[in-house]
Amino acid sequence: MDNFEKHIRENAAEFDEHKADRAKLWAHISTELQKEESKETKVIPLWVWSTLRIACFVVLLLSIGGFIGFSIYKSGTPKEQFVSKELQEINMHYKDLLAYQVELVQKNPNLSKEDKTEFLSFMDELDTEYETLRLEMHKNLDNEQVLEAIVANYQKRIDLITNLLQKINDSKKLDDTYGYTL
Amino acid sequence: MKTDIRFTHKMLVEKCKTGNTSSQFELYGLYVDAMYNVGLRFLGNKEEAEDIVQDSFVDAFKNLNNFKYDSSFGAWLKRIVINKSINRLKAKKIPLVSMETHEFYLTDEEPLEATETVDVKKVQWGIAKLPDGYQQIINLYLIEGYDHVEIGEILGISTSTSKSQYHRAKKKLLTIINAM
Repeated sequence: MDNFEKHIRENAAEFDEHKADRAKLWAHISTELQKEESKETKVIPLWVWSTLRIACFVVLLLSIGGFIGFSIYKSGTPKEQFVSKELQEINMHYKDLLAYQVELVQKNPNLSKEDKTEFLSFMDELDTEYETLRLEMHKNLDNEQVLEAIVANYQKRIDLITNLLQKINDSKKLDDTYGYTL
Repeated sequence: MKTDIRFTHKMLVEKCKTGNTSSQFELYGLYVDAMYNVGLRFLGNKEEAEDIVQDSFVDAFKNLNNFKYDSSFGAWLKRIVINKSINRLKAKKIPLVSMETHEFYLTDEEPLEATETVDVKKVQWGIAKLPDGYQQIINLYLIEGYDHVEIGEILGISTSTSKSQYHRAKKKLLTIINAM
């Protein structure tokens, strides 16, 4: 940078000799900024605001009420949730097991029609009993008698299947013995 | 303790970021004359300079949240004014740099009669008499204080073109001043 350049740069402020019309320029700037501001935040009339507030409040109340109601209906207490889940799992296990056994009985060619009908009618009775117990259980989870009855119900069904299996095996043994003696 | 120049008027700028009108007016008051003079130097016309300054302040206040103190607020605002002025000149198809070919660029080897105590008024008149394409580069380098890299960015030319253009413009300016 030569001396001429240094001289000009050092005295650059002297080049700013003009004065702006401040009021005129600011009037334009503030108008533009206000326009921008009104674009960003639209003014809502007071009556609309009040109505909106009431509507929001009603919606909020309904939402909270619905949520609480649904929660009570759906889940109950955490303890109930836990026990209910455990029972559901046990129930599912036995239900699947029994359904499988019933199907086996129905398809078994070694059983007479009478035996099948007798067996299935017992199972239907126990199913009905079980449904009643299950409803009772929802009403009163802590009722030990109901719980015992449910266990007994399952026990009966298992016994029923065991007996039937025993019957099938016995008939097989008879056939085998007969064959052997021949 | 020396304060970093980038944080000049920081408090005021921060208040402006919240949309505080009185702070905006205060900040405007601090810079409006300087920006008006920048606009006048580039556009040479009072109405156009006012137009550019107004638009620049509106843009600056609207986009103030993007200002992160990488430079001073004044430098940031000046760059807005200059960019807008350059765009205005482009729209009017006024050449930003000389149309003469660059092959004949002569380096500093050619002695320039640099009169260090030259009157500022004479320089102003001399700049006003410069042909189109010379004024902008002289303004940017000599008065606004940009380097050739920055001028290259502003005018959309290479750094070497900026240097060669400037040297020719300065030579022409000195010739005009010496002839006064």
